[in-house]
Amino acid sequence: MAKKLLRTSPSSSNKFNSANMTDDFQLHLDSSDDDAPEEVTFEESKASALRSMKNALETSKREKDLLKEKRRKRQEMFQEQKKRRLLPAHILEEIDTAPSKKQKLPRDQAESNHEEAYCSWEEGREGSKEGYEKETKKGFKGNIRRLKGNYSVMRVADQSSTNSQQQTAMDFIQARLYGPGSQRTTNNEVLSLQNKRGPNKSAAMQFVNKKWGTEKKAKAEKLKKQWIQKRKVPSS
Amino acid sequence: MGEFKVHRVRFFDYMPTAIRAMAFNAHTERLALARMDGSVEIFNFTDHYFQEKVIPGKDSRSIESLCWVGGRLFSAGLNGEIAEYDLENLRPKYSLEAYGGPIWTIISNTQGTQLAIGCEDGTVKLFEVLEEHIQFERNLDRQKGRIISLSWHPSGTHIAAGMMDMIRVFDVPTGHAVQRLLVDRGFGGSKSRETVVWSVAFLSDHTVVSGDSAGKVQVWDGHTGTLVKTHLVTKWDVLALSVSKDESSVVAGTSEGTVIQFQFIAPTLHQQQGKEWVRTRTFKNHTHDVRALAEIETAIVSGGMDTHLVVRPLLEKFDEKSHASGLRKIHFPHRNLVSCAKKVGLLLFQFPGQLELWRLGDSDGHGKPGDRLPLERMPEKLLLLKRKGEDHICCSALSSCGGWLAYSTVSCVRIYRLQTDNNNISITKVSKLPKALHSAHQLCFSSDSSKMFAASSQSSVLVIALTQSECKYVHTLKPKSGSRQPIHLMTTSVDGKWLAAANSDCEIHVYNLQKLKLHCIVPVYGSCPSAMGIHPTTNNLTVVHADQQLFEYSIVEKQYTDWSRKLQKQGLHNVWLDRDTPVTHVTFNSKNPNQVVLHDMHMFCIIDQSLPLPDQKTQFYNQMTLRSLSEQERPSHLHAFKICKTFQDLLCVSLLDDQSLVVVERPLLAITSQLPAPVRQKKFAT
Repeated sequence: MAKKLLRTSPSSSNKFNSANMTDDFQLHLDSSDDDAPEEVTFEESKASALRSMKNALETSKREKDLLKEKRRKRQEMFQEQKKRRLLPAHILEEIDTAPSKKQKLPRDQAESNHEEAYCSWEEGREGSKEGYEKETKKGFKGNIRRLKGNYSVMRVADQSSTNSQQQTAMDFIQARLYGPGSQRTTNNEVLSLQNKRGPNKSAAMQFVNKKWGTEKKAKAEKLKKQWIQKRKVPSS
Repeated sequence: MGEFKVHRVRFFDYMPTAIRAMAFNAHTERLALARMDGSVEIFNFTDHYFQEKVIPGKDSRSIESLCWVGGRLFSAGLNGEIAEYDLENLRPKYSLEAYGGPIWTIISNTQGTQLAIGCEDGTVKLFEVLEEHIQFERNLDRQKGRIISLSWHPSGTHIAAGMMDMIRVFDVPTGHAVQRLLVDRGFGGSKSRETVVWSVAFLSDHTVVSGDSAGKVQVWDGHTGTLVKTHLVTKWDVLALSVSKDESSVVAGTSEGTVIQFQFIAPTLHQQQGKEWVRTRTFKNHTHDVRALAEIETAIVSGGMDTHLVVRPLLEKFDEKSHASGLRKIHFPHRNLVSCAKKVGLLLFQFPGQLELWRLGDSDGHGKPGDRLPLERMPEKLLLLKRKGEDHICCSALSSCGGWLAYSTVSCVRIYRLQTDNNNISITKVSKLPKALHSAHQLCFSSDSSKMFAASSQSSVLVIALTQSECKYVHTLKPKSGSRQPIHLMTTSVDGKWLAAANSDCEIHVYNLQKLKLHCIVPVYGSCPSAMGIHPTTNNLTVVHADQQLFEYSIVEKQYTDWSRKLQKQGLHNVWLDRDTPVTHVTFNSKNPNQVVLHDMHMFCIIDQSLPLPDQKTQFYNQMTLRSLSEQERPSHLHAFKICKTFQDLLCVSLLDDQSLVVVERPLLAITSQLPAPVRQKKFAT
C-alpha cells in the first residue's frame, strides 16, 4: 500500500485559493492540538504548487505585456513628434532632387562612371542635406543664392578641395606615422639630449635659448605670481 | 676698408617644407624633388648640386611620388591626379584624374612606355605614355586593400605591389596576381596593427626586397613566394627603399633618420659561399624621418621631414679624398627670397603664401667693432600681403625706391604701388596689366623705378613701363639662341642702360635698354650662374657660378676685364673653391668702387679689387690674423678676399645706400624647433 506523503503546502498559505482555504480553515477550526496533522495528498499539493507557479508566470507575463505596451505607445508618440518636426514629405523630395543634381554636375562628370558610383551618390545626398541645412541657417548670406523656382547656385571652389577620400588617406598616414603607438617625442627633448650628451655639456634647450617656449615661460611666471599672491593674502 | 653698421635681421621666419619624394634621372643627371607643399625642385648633379629649377606648389596639389620617363617628369598624389610637368615653363602641363581614389605611388617600366599607379581602392592602373600625353590602358586585378608601393621588374613582365600585411606580385600581360607574400606583423603591441609595406623593390633575379612599418627589411624569392631573409633594422618604420643601378646595393630609410645600406656580397671570403644580402653601413644624417631616398652611381641622396637634402658620396667609388667625396647638405634654396630697397631701407620677404614688407630699425649710436648698438626705432612690419588663389608665389621684387612691389605665380602677376608717409603706408593694386604679362619666372625693377622686367617663356624678357599708377607693355627682348629654358637670374645696371639675364642653359644675355635689343652674349661657361651683378660705375658684370668660379665681364667693351683675366690666370684659392653652398647675391659699394660684396649661406665676402689676389699658399681666412698684427705689418698680408663668418645661416646680405649692411639670418635651430615630432630614442644615461 502506497503511503501517502504528508506535506504541508506553504504556497497555499500565500495565495488565495478558495478551495484550499476553506478546507484549511475548516481543518483549522476543527482540529485541536491532539490530532494528528491533516493528510494532504501529494497530487493535491502538486496541483496547488503547479497552479501557483502558473499564476506567477501569468502575472509576470501580464506585467511584461503591460510594459511592452507602454513602450510601444511611447515610441509611437516620439515618431509622431518627429514627423511633426520634419518638413512635409513633398518639400523634402524636392530638396533631395534639386541640390543633388546641382552637386553632381560640378563634381567630375566621370565620377558617375566610377566603380563606387553608389557610394559617391550617397555622399552627394548627405552633402545636399547638409547644404540645405546650412542654407536655412545662413539665409541669403553666404555664397548660395536661390534662383527662381527651386534651384540654388553654389560655387565649386567654396566646397573644400580635399574630398573625403583624400582626407581619409591623409588621416591614415598621419595616424600611422604620428598617431598612437608611434612613440614620438618633442624637438625640445631631442635638442636638450644633444646638449646633455654633447662635448660641451649644457642645460636643456628652454634654459639655454631664451626664446624657446616663451608662452610656457610666460604662463609659468603668471602662475608663480598668483601663488605668491595667494600665500601673502592668508598670512596678512 | 671701412667699418659697417650692420642691421642683423632675424625676423624672417622662413620655414622650408619637408621632402616627400625624389626621383633621379640617370640620363640627364637631374634629381627631381617633391615637397609636401606641392613644389618640385630640379637639382643638377653634374653642376655641384645646383638647384636649377623650382616649380612652385599649389594648395590643392599633394605629391606622393615622382617618376621620370625619358626627360618627362610625372607626379601622382592624394588628390587622385597624375600630373606631367613642363620643365621649360616651370608649371604643370596637365593633370589627369585617375579615378582610383588617392594615388600612393607611380612608377614607370625600364623601356619608358608604360606608367603604373597604385591607388587607394586597390587597383594598379596602367597608362600608356604617348607623345604629348598619357592614356589609360587597363587595370590589373583589383585587390582588397590599398596599394601603397609598386616596383616594376626590369623586364617589364611583373609588378610587385606592397599593400597592407602582404605583397602581391602581378603578371602584367594577363593582369592576374600570381604570388602573395605575407608580411609578419610587429612584436608586442603592434601585433594588433596591420603592417604597411611602405616600399618594395623588384630585382632582375626576381628577388623582392620590402621595407615595412614594423621596421623590417625582408628579402623574398619572387618565383616561389618565400621569405629568404629578414633584417630587423629599427623599432620604427622603414619608409623608403632604393636600389642601385647594378643591383648590388639597396638602401633603406627609416623613421629614426638613419639610412641603412645592404649589399649583395658573399658573407665570408670563401668563393664557394653564395652571395646574400648583408647589412653593411648605417648613415645617420637626419634627425627626423627619411621619406625619400635615391641611390645614384656614386652617392646616396636622402631627404625627409627635416627639410634638408643630404648627398652622401660612397667613399669606395672615389680614388682619393677630394671635395667631391664630402658630405653635402642643402638647406636653403639657391635663389634669393629677400629683396632690399636700398634707398629707403625696406625689406621684402617672400613666402609661398604671402609677402611681408618690413622697415629696418634705426640706431644713432657709435661703438667699436663688435659692439651691439641700442635701437632707437624698432624694425616694424609694414605690410602683410596674402596671395590670391591657390598657386604659390614663385618670385617677387621690390623697387629700390620702395614705391613699387610685384609678385608672380604661375597663373598671374600682380603689381602694387606703395606710398609710405612717415607713419602711414598705402598700397594700391595696379589693375589693367598688359595681356602678355600673365606669369613671370623672375621680376626685376629698374633702378629709377620707371620700368619693370619680367622673365617670361623661352628666355624672353618683357619690358613694362611704369607710370604714376599704371603700366604699359613696351617690348619683348628675345635671345638669339632660341633657348627654351627659363631665366632664373636678372639684373639691371644703375644707369638704366643694360639688362643681364641668365637662363638654365648657362647662357647670359646682355640687352641694351635704350635701343631695346640684344647687345652681347657672355661666353658660355660650363656651370650655371648662381649670382650676377652689374657695377654701378664701370658697368662690369660680375658673375659667380655654381662651381664657385668668378668672372667679371665688361659690357661696354664686350670682353672679360683685366682683373678677371688676372684672377683666372692665378686661379681661385682652394678654400674658396671648396665651399659647398653657392653664392646667391652680388652687390656693390657705391662709396668704394673697388668693392664687391657677395655671400653664401655660411659667410659673406668683400672682394677689394685694389688689393693683390691670394695665391694657394696664403692663409685665406685672414681677418683674425690681420687684427692681431700691427699697422705696419698689415699691408703685406692683405689680400683681396675679406671673409666674415660672424653671421651664420645667411639668407641675404645687402648694402644700403647709407653704407650700412643688412644681414638676414635664419638660424637652423629656429627651423628645427618648428619641425614635426621626431621619434623618441632611449639613450643610455638620460
